[in-house]
Amino acid sequence: MKPFWILIKYEWLNFRAYRGLVILSTLALVAGLYGIYYGTTEVERQRENIAGLEVLTQHNVAEMKTKYPSEADAGDIGYYHSTFAVHHPDSWASLSLGQRDVNPYYIKLRLLNLQSQLYDSENINPLKVLSGNFDLAFVLVYLFPLLIIGLCFNILSIEKEQGTLPLLLSQPISLPLIVGAKLTFRMMVVLGMALLLSIVAMVWGAVVPDARIALWLGVVVLYCVFWFGMAFLVAALQKNSAFNAVTLLGVWLLLTIIIPALLNVYVSIRQPVPQALALTIKQREVVHGGWDKPKRETMEAFFVRYPQYRDTAEIQGRFAWKWYYAFHLLGDIAVEDLAKEYQSSLQARHDLVQNLNVLSVPVNVQGIFNAMAGSDLPSYLQFLQSATHYHDTLREFYYPFLFKQVGFTHADYAREPRHSFTSTSDMPSAKNGLVKLLLSVLVVFAAGLLLFRWKEASVK
Amino acid sequence: MVKSIAQKEFISTLRDRRFVVLSVLVLLLLLAATVVGLYSYHTQQQERDVAQQTVNHQFQNSADRHPHRMAHYGSYAFRPKSSISFLDFGLDSYTGASVFMEAHRQNSANFSQAQQSSSLIRFGEMTVAFVLQMLLPLLIIFLCFSTFTQEKETGTLKILLSQGVSLREIAWAKIAGYGKTVALVVGPALLIASLLLFGRSGFEWHTDVLVRLLLFIGFYLVYFFIFVVLSVVVSGVHQRSSTALVTLLGIWILCCVIIPKASANLGNTLYTTPTRAQMDADVHEEVAKGIDGHNSQDARAEAFKKELLQKYGADSLSQLPVNFDGIIMAVGEEQSTKVYREYFAELTDIFQKQNRVSEWAGFLNPYLAVRNLSMGMAGSDFPHYLHFQNEAEQYRYHLAQSLNHIQTTRLKYKDKTTRLSADTWKELAPFTYEAPPVQWALGSHLISLVALFLWLALVCTLGLRLIDKIQIA
Repeated sequence: MKPFWILIKYEWLNFRAYRGLVILSTLALVAGLYGIYYGTTEVERQRENIAGLEVLTQHNVAEMKTKYPSEADAGDIGYYHSTFAVHHPDSWASLSLGQRDVNPYYIKLRLLNLQSQLYDSENINPLKVLSGNFDLAFVLVYLFPLLIIGLCFNILSIEKEQGTLPLLLSQPISLPLIVGAKLTFRMMVVLGMALLLSIVAMVWGAVVPDARIALWLGVVVLYCVFWFGMAFLVAALQKNSAFNAVTLLGVWLLLTIIIPALLNVYVSIRQPVPQALALTIKQREVVHGGWDKPKRETMEAFFVRYPQYRDTAEIQGRFAWKWYYAFHLLGDIAVEDLAKEYQSSLQARHDLVQNLNVLSVPVNVQGIFNAMAGSDLPSYLQFLQSATHYHDTLREFYYPFLFKQVGFTHADYAREPRHSFTSTSDMPSAKNGLVKLLLSVLVVFAAGLLLFRWKEASVK
Repeated sequence: MVKSIAQKEFISTLRDRRFVVLSVLVLLLLLAATVVGLYSYHTQQQERDVAQQTVNHQFQNSADRHPHRMAHYGSYAFRPKSSISFLDFGLDSYTGASVFMEAHRQNSANFSQAQQSSSLIRFGEMTVAFVLQMLLPLLIIFLCFSTFTQEKETGTLKILLSQGVSLREIAWAKIAGYGKTVALVVGPALLIASLLLFGRSGFEWHTDVLVRLLLFIGFYLVYFFIFVVLSVVVSGVHQRSSTALVTLLGIWILCCVIIPKASANLGNTLYTTPTRAQMDADVHEEVAKGIDGHNSQDARAEAFKKELLQKYGADSLSQLPVNFDGIIMAVGEEQSTKVYREYFAELTDIFQKQNRVSEWAGFLNPYLAVRNLSMGMAGSDFPHYLHFQNEAEQYRYHLAQSLNHIQTTRLKYKDKTTRLSADTWKELAPFTYEAPPVQWALGSHLISLVALFLWLALVCTLGLRLIDKIQIA
């Protein structure tokens, strides 16, 4: 073991002396810290905004109370009063923001038909979301491979180019030992940084300490080891430094940019989502058609869904709130199938990506991070379902007032159901991703070892 | 002499098998991106065309309705894609496709592609612009990094100089040779893309599209030229090929991966975006101070009533020659729209301030400059999106006020039951959208334009001055 540690020690001296490497590592560390800062502030901002919604609701209730000083018709309240369905971030979201910036994290709801409110979008700057989030996941998935490439592309070739390799080999040490020691030293540096950043992010983001700590750290280690394996594989080809640098960068480009972009094209062609526009057009047609249909017809259709109100008073006159909300419900029922299809197509898109991510390790790892942080598409779909359910409970809260003609008092505002949804991590798919990652690491190292054995003869 | 150096670089590159393989790969990617771009352009455009036609038809053949009901029935604006956006999707995947336009309410643009995707879309999209912006610079770096260093390593630079050419002449000759090679790679792809673009419209001559396309190509040529000169200069100042390569790759990573993301995130941190909920609440509060079209009982409406009665010399509202319901509705709409537009302008101002950070970063990074110009020419940038949103809002206001006018002139006061036939709705023209002309697009990217040409000037003057100072050992 002794020569191994001597090699490590000299690698360290070498590393310290070579300014470029130190600068590169410092840059990666700074980028990581900025990523942590950005992720935590972004999640903090989302939390503050969600807290602000509560204030807005209170404000709205106060306004309602002044507008209707005594008992009010619940129909008016349902029309003018709004509440929010909110999607709280998981404590891990600051490490991997995922799609939380693209998908709205709250929905403003009134008693009107749900489908015209459910897909309203948030104020987002499209240029910002196009550029993406500079969070810790980005630093680890995109930039750490570049750091590893920068540290390792000339691991063997530089010794050849400087003519130091024959000198080294004249000592009683073997080539595998040299390469092994050099790789080990760089792994210690990179893994040390990656783990340090991860732990800082966990502490700074005050994550819920559970099994995900081990999972996250394990994924980070394996992912870095994968890229070391890639560098080893390329080094085993025994080409010059320039060739290695170009090849490794080419692999990085292929895995982190080109394959994902091609996969995205494939997924959108293979799993189209045509329902959205059809849905939005159809619900409007049905809701507004409600005004022109005979009231009895509308109410009959409504009673199919809510038979408990069948024996309530017949509608008199030109307008009644219960009739108005009844045809709003019919608008939702008319597009129920389309809405389900829309959401299941989106889920199918996600599932397709999950199956194909074996083609690109970075896509897989980003998927694991997002699954752990509950910040990907499935979380948003769960939120949509939760908001849909909430709207149902709102209806059930208001219908008795409308159908039994009970006045809405000031005390009733506090009885109105509230909504809160916190995304949960998707551990099964994270673990599934981990298995795939482990396999990728094994494949890369096996290929590297085989190639190295095969080519080793040519050095000696 | 200069000509023969250029010719030598050109020929020796073509003989280099690795380069040929890489170029063919890039060319294939370019072609694939063109085909994919056209395909998704077609499907999305068709979807939106069909949707727009459907809603227009529905509006014009709507059941007999009261005009104010029609105002709430409203209409939709589906954003048509610009015809050259297939070359650069730009922000299109992140912007909403449809806006619901109704009375009293300004709705958000919903259903962006990004919302309908998993996080995979965040890795980037395969477009012609992506290949041109990110991959071609890499190809250029690979092509040029050893151009001087190899001559130094093999000692041929001294021999060349002994022939009586200056370093600067050699550099220019090399730049010319590589320029020719790059043209060979991008030329066919851009030609095919142009043919496809004009072939689709039956080779109809749209001056605006043509100018946009030519500028699009022009900006990229300048961008490539900057990278060629930059690579040659970096190769000139380094002694070893490998260090030159590592420096250039470092520059590429900084320009194409790190700075774009960092500058967008910085903009977002510096200027806080208000939430839609907060904005709606603020607008609501502000509007509540004015006249509410649905509530003719409050004090402000009372005052307005008196004023109107005086003007017409009438005793009661039913004696007015016009329908007071429609008038107060129109006044309410006017006020709420004015307030909303103020807040929306504030919001877009914040967005523009955020984006300004990325625009100014174009002076640090030619990638950002060309990205903005490219999106601008393709009509898929933020100003074009904003233009669409404003047009949709204009139409919404116009539609609501036209319907209020119909109510004012054709219906009696307090009449809530009369229904007008579909012929009435046919009088209202449907929403159409015309993208702004190319000079407007250029005008909104002046910073990026200056940045790109400053880079050009910088590499050609300062860069080549560095070449003059090369030490030949």
